[in-house]
Amino acid sequence: MIVCVAVVGHQNNPLYIQSFTEADDDLKLHHIVHCSLDVVDERVNNPKRSGSTLNETFLGLLYPTENYKVYGYLTNTKVKFMLVTTDLDVRDADVRNFFRRFHSAYVDAVSNPFHVPGKKITSRTFAERVSNIVKSFRLNPSG
Amino acid sequence: MEEYPEELRTPPVSLVAVVGCPELHAPISTHLHSEHPPINTLALPDLSSNTIASLLPPSSSSSSRSVDDSSSSSASPPVGGILKRDWLLKHRTRVPSVLAALFPSDRISGDPAQWLQVSTDLEYLKAALRGRNIKLVVVVVHSDSTDGINEDRMVAFRKRAEVESKHLISFVLSDASELKQSLERLGSTFAELANAYYRDEGRRIKARIEKKSFSSIELYIRYCFKVAVYAEFRRDWVEALRYYEDGYHGLREMIGMSTRLPAVQRLVEIKSVAEQISFKISTLLLHGGKVTEAVTWFRRHNACYKKLVGIPEVDFLHWDWMSRQYLVFAELLETSFMAGQSTLPAVLGTAEKPLSEWEFLPAFYYQFAAQYLKEKRFSLERELSMMEAVCLDDNSESVVSYVFVGQYARLVEQGDEFALQLLTDEEYIHHALLEGKRFQDSFEIIALLKKSYESYTNLKIPRMASYCAFQMAKEYFAVGDLSNAKKLLDSIAKLYRQEGWVNLLWETLGYLRECSRKQEILEDFVEYSLEMAALPVSSGGVTKSTCRECGPAGPATMSRREVIQKEVFEFVNGKSDLAPTEDANSPRISKDLPLCIEIDLVSPLRVALLASVAFHEQIVKPDLPTLLTVSLLSQLPQTVEIDELEVQFNQSQCNFIIYSAQRHQSAVASNSLPKSRVEVTRALALSANRWLRLSYDVKSGQSGKLECISVIARIGPHFTICCRTESPASMDELPLWKFEDRVETFPTKDPALTFSGQKTIQVEEPDAMVELSLGASGPALVGESFILPVKVTSIGHAIFCGELKINLVDARGGGLVSPREIEPFSMDNHHVELLGIARPEGEDEPQRGADNIRKIQQSFGLVSVPFMNSGDSWSCNLEIKWHRPKLVVVYISLGYSPHCNESTAKVHVHRSLQIEGKSAITISHHVMLPYRRDPLLLSRIRPVPDSDQLISLPLNEKSILIVTAKNCTEVPLQLLSISVEKDDDECERSCCVQHESEGLIFSPLLVPGEEFKKFFSIIPEVNSSKLRMGMVCLRWRRYLEPKEHSGTFSKGVGVLTKHKLPNATVELSPLIVKLECPPYACIGDPFAFFITIQNQTQLLQEIKYSLADSQSFVLSGSHNDIIFLLPKSEHAICHKLVPLVSGLQQLPRVTVTSVRCAAGFQPSVPASSIFVYPTKPNIEMSWSATEEA
Repeated sequence: MIVCVAVVGHQNNPLYIQSFTEADDDLKLHHIVHCSLDVVDERVNNPKRSGSTLNETFLGLLYPTENYKVYGYLTNTKVKFMLVTTDLDVRDADVRNFFRRFHSAYVDAVSNPFHVPGKKITSRTFAERVSNIVKSFRLNPSG
Repeated sequence: MEEYPEELRTPPVSLVAVVGCPELHAPISTHLHSEHPPINTLALPDLSSNTIASLLPPSSSSSSRSVDDSSSSSASPPVGGILKRDWLLKHRTRVPSVLAALFPSDRISGDPAQWLQVSTDLEYLKAALRGRNIKLVVVVVHSDSTDGINEDRMVAFRKRAEVESKHLISFVLSDASELKQSLERLGSTFAELANAYYRDEGRRIKARIEKKSFSSIELYIRYCFKVAVYAEFRRDWVEALRYYEDGYHGLREMIGMSTRLPAVQRLVEIKSVAEQISFKISTLLLHGGKVTEAVTWFRRHNACYKKLVGIPEVDFLHWDWMSRQYLVFAELLETSFMAGQSTLPAVLGTAEKPLSEWEFLPAFYYQFAAQYLKEKRFSLERELSMMEAVCLDDNSESVVSYVFVGQYARLVEQGDEFALQLLTDEEYIHHALLEGKRFQDSFEIIALLKKSYESYTNLKIPRMASYCAFQMAKEYFAVGDLSNAKKLLDSIAKLYRQEGWVNLLWETLGYLRECSRKQEILEDFVEYSLEMAALPVSSGGVTKSTCRECGPAGPATMSRREVIQKEVFEFVNGKSDLAPTEDANSPRISKDLPLCIEIDLVSPLRVALLASVAFHEQIVKPDLPTLLTVSLLSQLPQTVEIDELEVQFNQSQCNFIIYSAQRHQSAVASNSLPKSRVEVTRALALSANRWLRLSYDVKSGQSGKLECISVIARIGPHFTICCRTESPASMDELPLWKFEDRVETFPTKDPALTFSGQKTIQVEEPDAMVELSLGASGPALVGESFILPVKVTSIGHAIFCGELKINLVDARGGGLVSPREIEPFSMDNHHVELLGIARPEGEDEPQRGADNIRKIQQSFGLVSVPFMNSGDSWSCNLEIKWHRPKLVVVYISLGYSPHCNESTAKVHVHRSLQIEGKSAITISHHVMLPYRRDPLLLSRIRPVPDSDQLISLPLNEKSILIVTAKNCTEVPLQLLSISVEKDDDECERSCCVQHESEGLIFSPLLVPGEEFKKFFSIIPEVNSSKLRMGMVCLRWRRYLEPKEHSGTFSKGVGVLTKHKLPNATVELSPLIVKLECPPYACIGDPFAFFITIQNQTQLLQEIKYSLADSQSFVLSGSHNDIIFLLPKSEHAICHKLVPLVSGLQQLPRVTVTSVRCAAGFQPSVPASSIFVYPTKPNIEMSWSATEEA
């Protein structure tokens, strides 16, 4: 189950962060996403060590905590997407697929002429779309 | 890791025992310990029964053996546990693998009584070792290499000892090398035998495993453990690892199968054993440098046991255990990295199961250890609080560890003896709770987090470090160590602010606010509160129910922000106390305790109050009003009412205070208005995200920079916010809010002002009320002292400390260069020179005091101007001399202060004048030969191509030098004298130069453009190819009308202009041709025309001559002829001519050719012209008439 998704901007500032849990652990999820940015930095600066190839947007598993797994994705405009899930066995392909859909939702949201680049995404449509993507990920039996 | 017993933590070391000859034990044990691998030595002084008995307690050994042996039979009693607590210790410290008996050689070779004793000892040893596998070594100690024992006795001794010959070692003490050899021999034998011992022991137990001859799974695990330990003794790490893993897997199978113990204790035992085995495996892997395998192993271990929480009453035991697993692994990893045994692998994990880079950092594990410990504390506290109701009496002191690992038992007194009695689960839980209560977990957690934090910080992983620091701070906060908590929180708040993580910042600030409240630091409390209230927390806040994650800040919502703002404003208004409780000592803002907070350009509180100030103009005249807009912005959720606003400038007389109307009334009523300027506005209310714009006139009387420094807002009677102002043009965006999607407005009404507005303005100097006039204009003449009158006239200002600066600058050089920067000896500068500054005649300097500054350099002058009242004037003359023609700009600036106070700003008046220096007179010259007398100069006829075209002069012949002086100025000049002087360096005159006419009797006046000619005659006296003719010296001065003679120009001797005459070549002319005829002729009147040719050479000259006919004359005489001229003689050819036509007529052209010189001569047209009158003129008559008169 996906518990949190986030879009993080150039200055490592959150542009959109939404949790999907019943329990009130927003803060903890924020901390986890924030800490995962360290890994993104590390991956981006040392692409060889983590074994990822050049120009790969999908950063893979960033941060294995006891209960969560964090996945990352880096767009070519250096905006980061984060995904926190409680599923312990997730296939990379599913996560990639999720990020791909998330990315297109993001692109649509920032293409709005009223959106100022670098500001938080407040679009309700975007929020709904993300929520749908998250739900469908949950329903997907393989994921 | 420290809580594990020593024998578990360190790798096993073989143990041997030595007995007899106690004096040798120390060197032997030292040597063995330094072996590779080392061997520990158990030293027994003698063969008395006590020592051996203590070494090998026969009962325990036999009983354990009997248990082990009997386990193969089915009718054995059930096993009590998995691993015996002291088994490892026993093998490490008490059961030797080898026993070495030392006998002095003299006892063996001695008398029968001694031999008997030796035999008895041997028998005793053999008896003690019987049934055991312990190897026996007999050592014969020779104190001297020579004391031989006979063969028979030795053989007998060996037979008695029942040892192989290689296990009978002779130990020689006689010298050092022998001793060393003996020790080495001993060491190698011991190592070999110990290895054999452990191999045999291992093999024995391994056989049982292979035969599956064990009754229960516990025994299987125990056997595996033992085999692995024996393998470790032998340093067979691979086998050790394999058997440990086998044991570990066996243990995993045991869960849920075993029913030997009550459920809770069963799990505790299993976990304890698993912990030990896992520790061993991790250690072995890390020692072998297999980091990736170790990490993977730990992951598996973790995954196996993570879910085995057990019943909720004792889940704290599980969390404690989990925490310990992480801590131990972290420590192992750390030591391993520190010892350099392992390095971070290049590729992390495998393709299918990648490991993240964090899993190789000890900090990662420390962090989790802390997290589980927190979990444990939480569970424990919950349990304890539940147990409070049930009385928790402390009667379990007698609970001790049981024989088996992970088991506990009660010590029960039975008469004189103690017996161990196993516990029930309830008793055990009771005991565990009591034990748990004794520990202060917070400090443990802090220590773990601190390790993690430091490690992350060193590795430059800032966000992880911050998270650890945040958790640490929470712990510190919980235990009441507020200053530590605050220090940490402050550092992490910085990161969150920078990256705009509002919710995290909110939480951090919540703790900080609470810390400062508890520490009673008012300023911090207000600052944190204001910052929190102004944070861009999403306003749509769905208030979720409080949870344990929420800190003292409460949920991050709009309503909470409003509450915080309300709280803090009530506090700063003195309406409420710092602490919400009714504490009488709690500080409160009051008259005695006023509070002022500062907001500067980098303060996080800019979100709470931002002051932007813009002048509408960039430059203003003094004492003229200019418009200033003060704009304030606040992101506080509720409207802020400001009572008064003080605007402060760097010129304090400009400061003013803005009151809200209401406040002004009360101030007027209480008569407490300040002395400075007061403005009143309707209301000073700041609503969220809306600029409050106030525009006022500002007037400054002082020139220079006027800067608005700060805006001080006074809220309530004792609270002020001092806000550093910012220029709108260079204002940074609001931190945090810059990421928000909000309406952004301009601080000023005019958007253009927002982009260009500055908080500073330049106040100009007051207009100078002094006239500075320069009295002359160009052009200046090169060489003269040009006088430039300067006049300072006051037309309104008195002049104090006046100072006149003069600068001469090359007009083409560009710009006014400060004279100090010009090189003092620059040659270029000397072309124009400031000679002096003089007072006009008649106006003598009234004071020549020290303050009369006067400095003159070549192009710079400084002169002080005396005090002048309004209306006075003062003047001086600048004397400037041009050495070359040059265009120069004279800059003159007068600085003065209009008041006697020296500190007041100086007023400056600048004037500049462009003056061109021109040459006054150009002198030219040319040389002519006398009229109708032409010497033949060969060089003129055949010029040498590369000669420098010097003028040729005939030797001893008179030539005429005409010097022309032309006035090229626009003013009349007066010539004073003209002469040709010889060159300075010419010692002897080589030619004679004479004035053709008299010297200048009167000084001729040259109007602009006029030329003046002067004739000189030159007779070269020396035949020289380079004749110096000398230098024309012309003295002149500017002609002045008599009324101008007032002295503006120095009269003196005038200016000397020199002109060097070129050199000339002198040559002797071979022939001279003279034409002689009367000055004029009359029609019909015949006259004689002589052509005289003079031969100046020593040779005969053949001369051809011809005469062309002329229509104007009738001619008598031959037209052509050849004549021969004797040396130094002359020949005249005479013709009679009768003119036919009047007017200026050309005489018949005569051509003379010298054959020897191959040179022809024809007189020039003017020389062969004559004027013919129609009738005889009567000039002579009139002339004679005058003479007569």
